[in-house]
Amino acid sequence: MTLYHFGNCLALVYAPYHMAYKFSGISEYATFSKCVYAGGLYIFTQLCKMLLLATFFPDSDSQINGEYDVFLEILKATVDFADLLGLYFALNSVPGKGHAKILTSAIGWASAEVVVSRSVLLWVGAPGSEFDWRYVRSCAEANVALVQHAGSAALVWLWSRSDLPRAHAPLVLWLLALTPYRPLLEEAVAAVLSLSAWSLLAVRALHASAVALTALAMYAILSQQIAL
Amino acid sequence: MWRDEADGFAEIFKGYLPYYLLVALPIFIIMSPVNPVAASHEFSVYRMQQYDLHSVPHGCRSSSFNLEGRSLTSWSTARHCVVARLQDITIEQFMEIRSKSPALLLVLPKNNTELTVEQKEHIQLLEMAMIQQEMLAPVYFAKWSPEFEDILDDLQHSFITDDKSGTALEAMFNTVSSNGYQIVVTAPAPQKLDSKPVTLHGKLVGRSEARTIVIAAHYDAAGLVPELAQGADSNASGAVAVLELARIFSRLYSSVAVRGAPSLLFVLTSVGHSLNYFATKKWLEEQLDVTDASLLQDVSFVLCLDSISSENLNLHVSKPPKAGGAAHSLRARLNVPVVHKKINLADELLAWHHERFSIRRMTAFTLSSLQSHKEPARNTILDTPSEESLKHLVNNIKVTARALASHIYNLTDEVNDEDATLYDDALDVDEAAVRHWYEYLSSQPRAPHLITTTSQNSGVTGALEKALSRYVDVTMSTHTVDKREPEYVLYSPLRNLLYVYSVKPAVFDLILTLAIVAYLSLVYFAIQMFPKFYEEYAKFVTGKAKVY
Repeated sequence: MTLYHFGNCLALVYAPYHMAYKFSGISEYATFSKCVYAGGLYIFTQLCKMLLLATFFPDSDSQINGEYDVFLEILKATVDFADLLGLYFALNSVPGKGHAKILTSAIGWASAEVVVSRSVLLWVGAPGSEFDWRYVRSCAEANVALVQHAGSAALVWLWSRSDLPRAHAPLVLWLLALTPYRPLLEEAVAAVLSLSAWSLLAVRALHASAVALTALAMYAILSQQIAL
Repeated sequence: MWRDEADGFAEIFKGYLPYYLLVALPIFIIMSPVNPVAASHEFSVYRMQQYDLHSVPHGCRSSSFNLEGRSLTSWSTARHCVVARLQDITIEQFMEIRSKSPALLLVLPKNNTELTVEQKEHIQLLEMAMIQQEMLAPVYFAKWSPEFEDILDDLQHSFITDDKSGTALEAMFNTVSSNGYQIVVTAPAPQKLDSKPVTLHGKLVGRSEARTIVIAAHYDAAGLVPELAQGADSNASGAVAVLELARIFSRLYSSVAVRGAPSLLFVLTSVGHSLNYFATKKWLEEQLDVTDASLLQDVSFVLCLDSISSENLNLHVSKPPKAGGAAHSLRARLNVPVVHKKINLADELLAWHHERFSIRRMTAFTLSSLQSHKEPARNTILDTPSEESLKHLVNNIKVTARALASHIYNLTDEVNDEDATLYDDALDVDEAAVRHWYEYLSSQPRAPHLITTTSQNSGVTGALEKALSRYVDVTMSTHTVDKREPEYVLYSPLRNLLYVYSVKPAVFDLILTLAIVAYLSLVYFAIQMFPKFYEEYAKFVTGKAKVY
């Protein structure tokens, strides 16, 4: 039963990634190696971030009073700008059209995140005889993360374009600047409205799709412009 | 179009997915953590006692289980673990559990003092019923905790049972929403404990070696659960009284001028009524059946102290005291009612401690606040210390000390005031010391399973030996159980860790699979529809038809 449950979770995590890769058309570009490259960049970026965090920030576990230091958390989230830089390099390394660039790096990036941060928890936890909804939730979160990374990658790509319509530039910049603080914002909303874990997931999904749709709209306009 | 989509679906399985998974999955499965102990709850639990007395098995005979938790009303087979509050389970329910033998996990009351008198009586009766016969299934006791309260509530209100739900939809909803619990105790199989009971004795020598007064008590506690047997009344009170009497009389006997005629022998034994006063029996054999037996040569009488921390003392005898004898004299001075009960050797257990001495033709009696040896208060885990008991204990020690002193010095009641104050002064009970020892002894689990199996110089035995040796020279005799035909056998384990896993029924996973498949199909179609959606979306955003 429990291995079966693990299979369930695995299917929930793996299938959407696989389908996104197979049916979005990027597989025709034979860019699996590029996906792996983007994943490698993700890991490298995380290592750099960890080095930064470990060097310049106090260890939050050793704080005894357990107070939630908002300023410190914001500072820590700022380090996540490195993610955008990493995504930028990943985008640059992928040849081809804009949407192929964006999807390849987003899928590679998000897959690496799943492998590095979620698979261990899933592997250790889900096959146990103890049932907990959080494994299923974590798998669903991985799906949301894919959409979110696709949105971020699209924004980075838009920003890197010199032919970006002037009217859009501030919006892209704003969205990019907000990107690192999104998890914080989501958690703040959840804390204020005292949402359950599932509602938080729903908020994340809504937020990610809103950002992704905005990015898609700008992408559509830009590609229209290029085509003309 | 449908055909294409079907092809697309097949693509997933045709691609590289199956081949590398064929290699990867077995590796993952081999690498998988063998014992993923990530239980949400972990508790210390105490096993019901297990012992053989004269080769008759008592108590619970097994220790490990891995079963589904159920409440008192919803369990049905031996493959369940019944979880209940100790005060909720009735004797009939318990009998049914014993006959069908599911595992049993009983949660102790949150606070003993909050129990009503009826509840206390009920629990004591239940304990008696539980210990009468052996139980084949494991029985564990757990201390109350808020987590247990949640689990109990969940078990009482869940309807995972397949036959109870009305419609199929309802059943399905229940499987998704309800929590099941898998309860696991991994313990070694019950093993014989190496039990070495001891007897401590120390003598205050009187003026003439002629007569000896023996004051004896056992200091173990009998209870259903060895780790929880605190035994404040039975028999921490008796042991404390022996210590205090030793202190009082050692002061008197230290100066030659006020030394009494008879010698006083203080005896503390580590095995009491639950194991048929085995230590006393062995000790008597050792003292009487050797050629140079001098210790018990001329015993005036034996005074046993058992459960003396409530009002109204009784003197239990197996032979009515003869007028003019020492026993009669003491009884008159104690001024307590005499309860006469003949020794019945056919019984499995002797009724009172003094019967061990009476069998060896000594004048012996037991001083106890209990009316009868059958009172369940002697064998309960509810026997915990209280301020009130302590007060009675101090008072009873005072009364006993006075009676003993008046017997030893052969004083009559007509003493003048000056004598009375002297008397009070000499026989004053040190309340602080009594309190200290009473609280210490009743805070320690003192079942024979524990005190006869640990090292003799540590724990309760060691502490009592040190305390008694401040007043008298203490000899510690260690007894052994017969190897071929053991008088009694005690078994471990006594405490274990219990894991409670929250689980879902197997059907739940099937339902989850269905849900995931539905979700994935949705994602699949969403991705298939994406180009169309993008076209429309782009039109909507730019206001122009898509060109490429």
